[in-house]
Amino acid sequence: MASDLVKRLKKGISENWKQVVLALVSLTIFVLAWHVYSAYLHENDVGYKGYVPYPMDVARALFKSFTAEDPITNLIMWDHIAASLERIVYGFVLALAIAVPLGLLMGTFRTADALGRPIVELIRPIPPLAWIPVFIVVLGVLWGPVAIVFLGIFFPVLLNVIFGVRSVDPILIDAARTLGTGRNQLFLKVVLPFTIPYLMTGIKVGLGIGWMCIVAAEMVGNYGGGVGFFINDMALRGQFDFMFAGMIVIGMLGIFTTGVASMIEGRLSKWAGMK
Amino acid sequence: MGGHEVVSCIQITGLSKVFTKGRKEIQALKDFDLEVADGEFVCLLGPSGCGKTTVLRILAGLETKSGGSVRLRGEELAKAGSDRGMVFQEFALFPWRSVRRNIEFGLEIQGVDEDGRKRISSKYIDLVGLKGFEEAHPRELSGGMKQRVGIARALANDPKVLLMDEPFGSLDAQTRNLMQKELLRIWVATNKTVLFVTHSVDEAVFLADRIVVMTARPGKVREIIDVDLPRPRDRTSQEFIRVRGKVLTELDEEFEKARAKELSPD
Repeated sequence: MASDLVKRLKKGISENWKQVVLALVSLTIFVLAWHVYSAYLHENDVGYKGYVPYPMDVARALFKSFTAEDPITNLIMWDHIAASLERIVYGFVLALAIAVPLGLLMGTFRTADALGRPIVELIRPIPPLAWIPVFIVVLGVLWGPVAIVFLGIFFPVLLNVIFGVRSVDPILIDAARTLGTGRNQLFLKVVLPFTIPYLMTGIKVGLGIGWMCIVAAEMVGNYGGGVGFFINDMALRGQFDFMFAGMIVIGMLGIFTTGVASMIEGRLSKWAGMK
Repeated sequence: MGGHEVVSCIQITGLSKVFTKGRKEIQALKDFDLEVADGEFVCLLGPSGCGKTTVLRILAGLETKSGGSVRLRGEELAKAGSDRGMVFQEFALFPWRSVRRNIEFGLEIQGVDEDGRKRISSKYIDLVGLKGFEEAHPRELSGGMKQRVGIARALANDPKVLLMDEPFGSLDAQTRNLMQKELLRIWVATNKTVLFVTHSVDEAVFLADRIVVMTARPGKVREIIDVDLPRPRDRTSQEFIRVRGKVLTELDEEFEKARAKELSPD
């Protein structure tokens, strides 16, 4: 199994080397363009030149943020990442714990759907960020952002689970019934496995939204740590190279978590026979 | 029922079925009678929309009847159950389960322990010729192989009857012929009663002990034709062609009726 994975990875790398090179080319062009723009601002002594530091300065700040404690907050980047991850994980777990059973219920029973649908449709279009002022005050710096992340992940998961339950091929239900399957078993052995890949799609989308939410939520708090807090703090202090470093960290974390979710999604879809 | 009375495997009397679509009522079956003996291979044949699949689905317990009686070994049927195995045209395999785990599905439901499941599934994997494919998933199999799984899965429950709803309808001609031979081999080996829905006259004559030709909607039995040809049957033999001609004549009239009905405003 493991050697199989290694083999496939190797094959993937040799097949995708072109893509890797192209990715490096596009990133290089991006960094160069950034450098040129920054240089243009600095040469012409524009008032806001500090807002756009050189890429090298940002890289240095990024390195420093991971290696040296901040003199004012006594925090290092790892502390901020830990704080943000903690909020994401809490929000994620809570969202799953409620959205999955609720989605299964609403997907299965018309009455549950009729009861839940109006509330869902009312709250869903409200951007999670609109709740920031209330949540931060009422729930504090840990649970406020957690609640915002929760909202970001909750709806994609809920809707995908409902959709998954509704998508169960009726002929599979027929087949299971002729094999002697009762109601409860039908749910456990047919509906649930069928829904899992849909759930993963919801999780993937939800995580993406979750990261966007966490930064904004932490920015408002102004204390309590977190990468969002770090970005805002550095901006307020005028240390824009560090601010950009924080932004890059968020981007990387987002790529990492949605990447992991995508991989699990791919595996489960394959397992469920959908790809 | 009397102790020494001969009870047919399947006994359908006066079966009727009405579908309601909005305000419209469609009489799919009316006064449908059929008796099938133990171990018999019976084909249901008829123009499309004549309700042959409906008969099968009522027998399987997937559809409720509107009237009449359906008995299995003397007992009135209602709900779906493991005493009737069904094989579907669309295969209806569980895509997330391996071949073996598909076949073991019914046994899991019955609560058979792991050793028992493995023993039984191995037996049917051998019987349908899937050895070496136990761990494959449905997406990796050809249509013919998928239907072998479908048949093994239905048989694993050791049902009294095997209900087959155009099981080879989505296979190419070559595979179809091969699967017909395979099915006859499996039928002889398991001694099951088979009720087989098809719209291929050729298939029915090749497989069946008796062919039930149904009328256009509302479906009932138009004619039952005994196919007393020895097996294996030769599709090119005079006898085969004669029986085929007889069935075709019966069926053609019903096709015409069905067509006329379709064209007439109602």
